[in-house]
Amino acid sequence: MTDNHPTNGRLAEELRQLLASIEATGRALLPASNLELLQTVVDAAARIFGAAAASICLVDETDQVLEFKVAIGAGKDEVLGMRIPIDRGIAGYVANTGQPIAISNVQQDPRFNQEFARSTGYVPRSILATPLIIGDRVIGVMEVLDKISAPSFGMQDMELLGVFAQQAAIAIDQSQQMDNLGRAMLRGIDRLLGNDGSDQPTRIRSEIEAGTAEEQTRRREMMDLAGLFFEIGQAGEDERRACLQILAAFRDYLRSRPSLG
Amino acid sequence: MSTTNESEPPEEILRPAWSSQFSPDILQEVEAVGPLAEITRDWAWGGSTGKGVRVAVIDSGIEHDHPAVAGGVRGGTIVEYDRRTKTQLRFKADDKPVDIFGHGTACAGIIHLIAPEAELYSVRVIGRDLTGKAMQFAGGLRWAIEQGMDVVNMSLSTSREEYYGLFHELADEAYFHNVMLVAAVNNIPAPSYPSLYSSVISVAANEGRDPFTYYYNPSPPVEFGAPGIDVEVAWLNKSYSTSTGNSFAAPHITGIVTLIRAKHPEFTPFQIKTVLTACAANSRHPVDR
Repeated sequence: MTDNHPTNGRLAEELRQLLASIEATGRALLPASNLELLQTVVDAAARIFGAAAASICLVDETDQVLEFKVAIGAGKDEVLGMRIPIDRGIAGYVANTGQPIAISNVQQDPRFNQEFARSTGYVPRSILATPLIIGDRVIGVMEVLDKISAPSFGMQDMELLGVFAQQAAIAIDQSQQMDNLGRAMLRGIDRLLGNDGSDQPTRIRSEIEAGTAEEQTRRREMMDLAGLFFEIGQAGEDERRACLQILAAFRDYLRSRPSLG
Repeated sequence: MSTTNESEPPEEILRPAWSSQFSPDILQEVEAVGPLAEITRDWAWGGSTGKGVRVAVIDSGIEHDHPAVAGGVRGGTIVEYDRRTKTQLRFKADDKPVDIFGHGTACAGIIHLIAPEAELYSVRVIGRDLTGKAMQFAGGLRWAIEQGMDVVNMSLSTSREEYYGLFHELADEAYFHNVMLVAAVNNIPAPSYPSLYSSVISVAANEGRDPFTYYYNPSPPVEFGAPGIDVEVAWLNKSYSTSTGNSFAAPHITGIVTLIRAKHPEFTPFQIKTVLTACAANSRHPVDR
């Protein structure tokens, strides 16, 4: 893509700003911060529900498994990264049906007991599991285990976790979309600078982090722009295409200006 | 998002849910008037065991040899998604059903407890593949209608808008074939098909232990409340657990509907609904029942 005005400093700078503004919104540019977000969600869930442990697993549709992404409390280290078939266990049921369920005395469920206990060494007495839903798609399951103040989770807990999970799912969705957007922007900058080196995104990011104070006002504007990007990204296919065409036309106009040549 | 949640007290994000409609301070009393006032529970289902009534449980399967359903399971089908077939579904006869999660056995056990002589059929529609689950569910419902089931318990639902029409069509088809559909409302604030259709009996959970005590909600879409909180239910491998969810309320109503169907086989679905309403615990009768 070196023919696309690789030395176009101003446009590159604008893209850098845009990227910085996306990062400034606190959304995940890197997979690591995506996990941090999920971790915050389970930490809060465990606290709000007075649970000994909590976790989020996400659906891997390709392999038809649930993968535990984050956890807190008992069994945490063992459960992280664990992948369970989607036709097993309480989480599997919730992922399959989109129905939340609260269950206690689960030691009496031998299949659950054996599999979970073997892997984690931790057998909960009570479980509340609710789906994480985006639109009408189950993307994962949030579980809280062992309510400290009571032998089981009640209906109110279930309804509250449902609302909580809804918020969490939106956060995950936004995070993933921002992640995708951020990656797309990095690729765009990379191409713009005419560099195909794999370490380029890292270098660009470090340049962004070194931004000066004078750029703050401009960043705010760019943040608004990032917000628009996100909103349009959420819209339908036709709207996104229309927006792409408008932006491409504006880019062509910028390129054609003598001052930028 | 998580930051917002942390800074807000839980009370502020708590929304009224289906089950709250059956809390004692909200629940309204309804009056049985005219001939409805004459309807008693004894007349409706007294002495009935559900004998001869065929009940389909659309769920995760039924563990046929679980003591909680002993002798009640007569067969069933497994509905699998298969994109190579014309209907994208494949049906496998399931003479001795098993359960993959325990949930279907829990529901079947509740029905069997209330209507011990009913014939239970397992319609397993959930499993390994998430891709076609709403289609499997719809296929299972169609199977139950075509097989001439008298009552169908659906402790599951879909919120997918594109299936609104299909499930509506199936609900109508069930009604015209005199098949009574009973569906749990989802516990989350989302559309819940097919529970939202008028010919379907929709059920949410409320407090209470007595399997024959249920309530009518005069502010639908959710019409009936039955025990579904900390219910002792059958689970996998002949075990039991304590479970909470609208899932476990629906089979209570299914069981009672089964008793009514056995005693009054001539009733249509809306007549059953009327009898059910008249016999609800919050239905006031001018005459002593």
